[in-house]
Amino acid sequence: MNSKDKPFGVLAEFANPADLMDAASAVKKAGYKHFDTYSPFPIHGMDEAMGLKPSKLGWIVLGHGIVGLLGGVALQSWTMSIAYPMHISGKPFLNFPAFVPVAFALVILLASFGAFMGMFYLNKLPRLNNPLFNSDRISKATDDGFFLCIEASDPAFSEKRAEELLKNLGATHIETIPA
Amino acid sequence: MGKEQQQTYWRSLNELAQNEEYRKFVEREFPENATELTDGVSRRNFLQIMGASIALAGLAACRKPVQKILPYTRQPEHIVPGIPLYYASAVPFRGNLSGVVVETHEGRPTKIEGNDLHPGSNGKSNIRQQAAILDLYDQDRSRKVLRNGSDSTWEDFTAFCREHFADTGRRVAFLSEAHSSPTLERLRQSALNRFPNARWVTCEPFSEESVLNGTAMAFGRRLRPSYHFDKASVTLSLDDDFLQDSDNDVAHIGAFAQSRALASPDEEPSRLYAAESTYSLTGSNADHRLRIKSSEIPLFTFALAAHLSGEVSGLEAYAGYRNTFSDHSWISVLAEELMRNRGSSIITAGPEHDAPVHATVAAINHALGNTGQTVEYLDVPYTATADQNEAFAGLVREMGEGQIDTLVMIGTNPVYTAPADLDFQTALEQVPESLHLSLHYDETSRQSSWHVNRAHFLETWGDGHSFTGVRSVIQPLIQPLFNGKSETEFLNAVLSGEDAAGHQLVRETWQELLDGPFERGWNEVLHDGLQRGSRYNAVSVSLAGSFSAEAAGFLEAAEEPGGDSVELVVRPDPRMHDGRFANNGWLQELPDPMTKVTWDNVALMSPNTAERFGIPPTRRFGDPNQMVVRLRTASGDEAEIAAWVLPGHADNSITLHAGYGRQKVGRVADQVGVNVFPLRRSVSRLYCTAADVSATGRSYVIACTQDHHSLEGRPHVQDADLDHYRENPTFAQDAVYVPGIYGDREHPVSLFDDKQWPDHQPQWGMAIDLNACIGCGVCTIACQAENNIPVIGKREVRRGREMHWIRTDRYFRGDERGNPQVMHQPVPCMHCENAPCEQVCPVAATTHSDDGLNQMTYNRCIGTRYCANNCPYKVRRFNFFNYSKEYLTTGDDPEIIQMAMNPDVTVRFRGVMEKCTYCVQRISRAKIDTKNETGDTVKPSDGTVKTACQQACPANAITFGDLTDEKSIVSIQKSKDRNYLMLEELNVRPRTSYLAKIRNPNRQLSEPS
Amino acid sequence: MSQNTATVPDDRLVKGNHDFASITKLITDIPQERTPLWWYIAFGISNILLAVMLAMVVWLIWNGIGVWGLNNPVGWAWDITNFVWWVGIGHAGTLISAILFLFRQGWRTAINRFAEAMTIFAVMCAGLFPAIHVGRIWTIYWIFPLPNSMQLWPNFNSPLLWDVFAVFTYLTVSTLFWYVGLVPDLATMRDRVKGKISKLIYGTFALGWTGGNRQWQNYEKAYMILAGLATPLVLSVHTIVSFDFAVSIIPGWHTTIFPPYFVAGAIFSGFAMVLTLMIVSRKLYGLEDIMTVDHIEKMNIIILVTGIMVGFAYSMEFFIAWYSAFEYEKFIFVNRAMGPYAWAYWTMITCNVVAPQFFWVKKFRRNITLTFILSIVINIGMWFERFVIVVSSLATDYLPSSWGYFTPTYVDILTYVGTFGLFLTFFLLFLRFLPMVAIAEIKGVLPQANPAYYRNGQSTKTQ
Repeated sequence: MNSKDKPFGVLAEFANPADLMDAASAVKKAGYKHFDTYSPFPIHGMDEAMGLKPSKLGWIVLGHGIVGLLGGVALQSWTMSIAYPMHISGKPFLNFPAFVPVAFALVILLASFGAFMGMFYLNKLPRLNNPLFNSDRISKATDDGFFLCIEASDPAFSEKRAEELLKNLGATHIETIPA
Repeated sequence: MGKEQQQTYWRSLNELAQNEEYRKFVEREFPENATELTDGVSRRNFLQIMGASIALAGLAACRKPVQKILPYTRQPEHIVPGIPLYYASAVPFRGNLSGVVVETHEGRPTKIEGNDLHPGSNGKSNIRQQAAILDLYDQDRSRKVLRNGSDSTWEDFTAFCREHFADTGRRVAFLSEAHSSPTLERLRQSALNRFPNARWVTCEPFSEESVLNGTAMAFGRRLRPSYHFDKASVTLSLDDDFLQDSDNDVAHIGAFAQSRALASPDEEPSRLYAAESTYSLTGSNADHRLRIKSSEIPLFTFALAAHLSGEVSGLEAYAGYRNTFSDHSWISVLAEELMRNRGSSIITAGPEHDAPVHATVAAINHALGNTGQTVEYLDVPYTATADQNEAFAGLVREMGEGQIDTLVMIGTNPVYTAPADLDFQTALEQVPESLHLSLHYDETSRQSSWHVNRAHFLETWGDGHSFTGVRSVIQPLIQPLFNGKSETEFLNAVLSGEDAAGHQLVRETWQELLDGPFERGWNEVLHDGLQRGSRYNAVSVSLAGSFSAEAAGFLEAAEEPGGDSVELVVRPDPRMHDGRFANNGWLQELPDPMTKVTWDNVALMSPNTAERFGIPPTRRFGDPNQMVVRLRTASGDEAEIAAWVLPGHADNSITLHAGYGRQKVGRVADQVGVNVFPLRRSVSRLYCTAADVSATGRSYVIACTQDHHSLEGRPHVQDADLDHYRENPTFAQDAVYVPGIYGDREHPVSLFDDKQWPDHQPQWGMAIDLNACIGCGVCTIACQAENNIPVIGKREVRRGREMHWIRTDRYFRGDERGNPQVMHQPVPCMHCENAPCEQVCPVAATTHSDDGLNQMTYNRCIGTRYCANNCPYKVRRFNFFNYSKEYLTTGDDPEIIQMAMNPDVTVRFRGVMEKCTYCVQRISRAKIDTKNETGDTVKPSDGTVKTACQQACPANAITFGDLTDEKSIVSIQKSKDRNYLMLEELNVRPRTSYLAKIRNPNRQLSEPS
Repeated sequence: MSQNTATVPDDRLVKGNHDFASITKLITDIPQERTPLWWYIAFGISNILLAVMLAMVVWLIWNGIGVWGLNNPVGWAWDITNFVWWVGIGHAGTLISAILFLFRQGWRTAINRFAEAMTIFAVMCAGLFPAIHVGRIWTIYWIFPLPNSMQLWPNFNSPLLWDVFAVFTYLTVSTLFWYVGLVPDLATMRDRVKGKISKLIYGTFALGWTGGNRQWQNYEKAYMILAGLATPLVLSVHTIVSFDFAVSIIPGWHTTIFPPYFVAGAIFSGFAMVLTLMIVSRKLYGLEDIMTVDHIEKMNIIILVTGIMVGFAYSMEFFIAWYSAFEYEKFIFVNRAMGPYAWAYWTMITCNVVAPQFFWVKKFRRNITLTFILSIVINIGMWFERFVIVVSSLATDYLPSSWGYFTPTYVDILTYVGTFGLFLTFFLLFLRFLPMVAIAEIKGVLPQANPAYYRNGQSTKTQ
């Protein structure tokens, strides 16, 4: 490859989750921000190793849940007592005990949508054309491969030093992924 | 008056499209007589033809036929579209009229109600009168004159009459149904004058002949006994279902209910004893009931007379007579009761019983001094002097011998109804010319050389007398749908060969009957529906000298029937009568008051008798299959019919209802049930003894609307003996424990605050007095007529999908093998304030109105049936199929039946729920009228809103009105101590409440036999 | 870890010496290899049943509800019975994937994927019945709060409306949950399939999943939250379904015990159904290593427990009926056991209370044939439970005059049978084209997945 055009990043493969985790913490220590590890399953402790902040998803879900609750109560109260009040079984127009199930269902429904879409939003998915896929080894990441990729977008990135660092960390194979 | 009732109305547009007149019309560019549009008749034609041409335009295009509503080219007087008009008329039945008021919408009669002014009706009606409207719109009615089965015309017929009856020497026999019409009588006289060899015979399969013979035996004159049950404190019915099988039932029910009415515990209601074989409606209202075979009734009667002969004068003829019943516990007790209530007691016997029974009954009534008090003997000029049953038998014999040239049959259907042993049909074949006037092309018409299609009584003019002789004019409400002819027009044609209008014939007759200026009197009669002051005169009677001799004769002849020989009793069906109403879907689908069976007749028998012939004495829950039995009379006539176990029926006795098994009469009547007339003899018509019964092993599906007939000890129907009621007047309210106190008494308390109803609105409520209700079921038919309730047919009823908005539940209590008590309870929608049905509807299709009605919004209903499931009273009805469509759009020209619909009530679509609305259309009309009149309030004054069921009920059992008005009748009823709420403990707060039934048993007979 | 303690390794969830690659192969090969003959046969039969169901539904809609055996007291029968039964079955899926996940039950990973699939398809079958049981299906959309020119709104007091929301939510959430779980495995498929089109399809649905830890972080969070949401939901759904009856005033329906009783029953029947399906598919696809006998035993224990809960509920109903001193309530329960529907009642008791007692014995719990038979027996029993509740209560309620007996028509029967066609059709498609076991999760529970595994001096290379 010629060094004129900037690559996407340097991808290194490791033998097993343990090595990958060590590598991740080392890379973090080396001051890299824009890097990620790829594994067929979530590895426990990797978040700390990479120094990731806790996910913001919870807040998104909470927001949706609240909307669901307020919306549910508002919908029922408005339709039953303001929009078109009707005498039903001698009950009051605002019959809150009866409103609980629907309000509850709506909370769950909206919160779930929040969790679902929030997750993909935070993961920047769907994204069907990922430069990573230019590597032909990365597909092992969904099978039994463990990878670490330092991305070129990182201010501290230099192809040489990155390869160096990863080799020292005991990567079994290293390649540069073109953008 | 004369003109309004000739309302314009168009027959089936398609039908018209075919007719000749129309063809001619379309060939011309302009209607030739468009100039005479001022003349009513031409205007009618013009409209008809226009209507037809439009219908054609629709048909021509290959699309759904377009039908346009045409405005009147000239507005007829009095007609405001949407506002019904009411005309007085009268319903004839077995020769007696009952005054009615007919509601018409834009010229269509839609509903029949009783006439308040008429003593035979008092504004009330019975199932036959309510259902008559459907007979009018019966598509299967004969539509043309037939000559030996092939099409002919009325003109041909009159021509034939002119030619045929020119020879006055002919041996003509007139066979007429019973009548009381002055006009017909006038024609009858002239007929008999015109034809020296003519005879006139009355033919009614179920008639009062033997009653008349009885009175003739007793008093030497054929007199009609007329009973005043309201004046009686003790009544003994000997196999007489006077509340149902009577020409005066409406009056009887009213009077009976009145005699039982209880405003407070200290009042003294009347007492009814019934000795009968079947469990009749009357028996079910009796305080004491004795189940004995019909063939034992004569013995019982004689024994009673014999016992009384020692205590009162006038019964010497019976002195010393003894039979098996002489020592019966009832005889002495009854005797005592009757003696105690001399002058205020009534003894009646079933009209079909033989003359000696009626003679004895008359003698007893007379001896007890009831004559003139509770019993009147009326001199009825329209009853023949001789026994018409015998006369009929004689006629048939002569016919068979070929001694009759021409038989003119006015109504009646002897081929179907005549007793088997007479073999009328073969006799009829010996008659060269037979003319038959009938509504349907029926069994007799088929055997006759001429059939003339008869007009319904709502279509032509007629007249007659009520049971007690009140004279009325039958006023038509509509042009004959099928160009039918009335009996007077028919007979007149026979005599004169001319086509005179009934209108003119009747007016002719009434010239003599009215004093004072004719037109004024005539219009008065038309307006009132009766001629005031007219009635048969009651004659004072005394025992005939020949009586004791006759009595000795029949006492001698009276033989003791073998204990376990089985008798077959043939009675008229409560709904079909002798079959004349067989093509009436409303009546076919009305559950029999005692068995709740629809669309069939069954062989009623007691559990013991059933067991004796290998029929299970109890039915399996939910199993519609009934064992079929073969019945053979001593003379070898047979019938196979489904057996039905009726608790309380006399053992070794089988009751059969006539009027079923008709052939090729109409789509409703055909093949329904079994014809039992063949089991009937011409002598002692009521029953035949020594019948042979055997189970066939086959089973037959019966559609019964009530699967379970025990109350399971539940407190839904509250009743008590008079003593118990006096000790504890509020027993009905205290029957169920209700948690919570509300006001001063137990009352369910609610989680929520009670609804506050707006003050300016009335609050509707209903009270049903079970003490008055006799269970006849007229409320159901009245409701069906008022609310466009479809007929759904046997299969659907069998599946438990009947659509009646108000049903009458019938429960048995006590020993089913012995003599259980029966309770009747009409159940409409309760209009609960906390209606359970409302909260469960996902789309709020059923909600409460401001005036406290539980409303059903058909348009909003999606048909989850959840409301019906959650209704504790199960009064909601679901359209499982498109019943209304099947009901209203099948047949050659559905427009006919569609005309019977009440335009104020929605016709319900498939898949929606429906139920009693408290006749909301009547409520709304009353509220609107009140608003218009008063300008402020929408609370109609008490009594202005009558629900259909309430208006029809002859016993005044149903009261309805505004609960916010303490003085309204319904409020007064509800304030009575007998008032209770069904299922009060559920706290659904029903607006419909019940008043407990009070029985008045005799302590000496406290143990019901 | 300290030297003087020894840990007894709990027996492995995955049998056989599997490594990551072999697991991947084992599962992802299923959709790739040639379609086996049995699949075509099974699929054919399912399609025929499905066709029958569609025919019956068309017939029903064309003619009206009358083609069913319903009558006046009995306004609901097989329709609602089937609805409750199918919803109940659905519960197992969510329960396994959500509740067991929260309880960190590793063994769930083997079965949660197709248990969830089963849930979705079962709820689809269930949803069919409320939809077609209405008299005027063309107006069914009125149950949704849609603005309309009439200004009319649904009645939020109605349990039936609660049902609509509950079941709709349930179906949606289960589907989302299922799909979230599928994404990494779809990526695995994407990376393994050869064909261009299949690659494209799997790729599209994998949404470009890379397996990066930054994704895994949010992913796990989302999965946990969804599990947390699904847990109260699954409990609420059958509770609300039971409100259809509990909120009414019909004796036999009006019972406060219904919510827990229905949920227990749902888990009971759901697990039975999972077992039925699992025992067949593990055989057919040779997944004995993943869906082990230990799994079957664990599930049988749950069945035993829930079976006892259900049995307790039955007896409790009788006690309350007696204790309430409400004659109508008393009557209905005596009538269930002795009345016209006694046959249904005793079928229910035999299948639901007696049958599970076998599972007290470990030998029976681990006996696959017996488990298979009982799992079917139990589902028959649970169908009858719903039938008894729905029909026998309506048939003989307050007024003896309006009592009526229900007899099904062929349409009732064929519609029900047909729903199996709907269910199996979808299920077979699922087996054929999607990884029927959660690959990533299985790998996650392998010992090799834990970094600690390599630090305790064990060989770093996985065998």
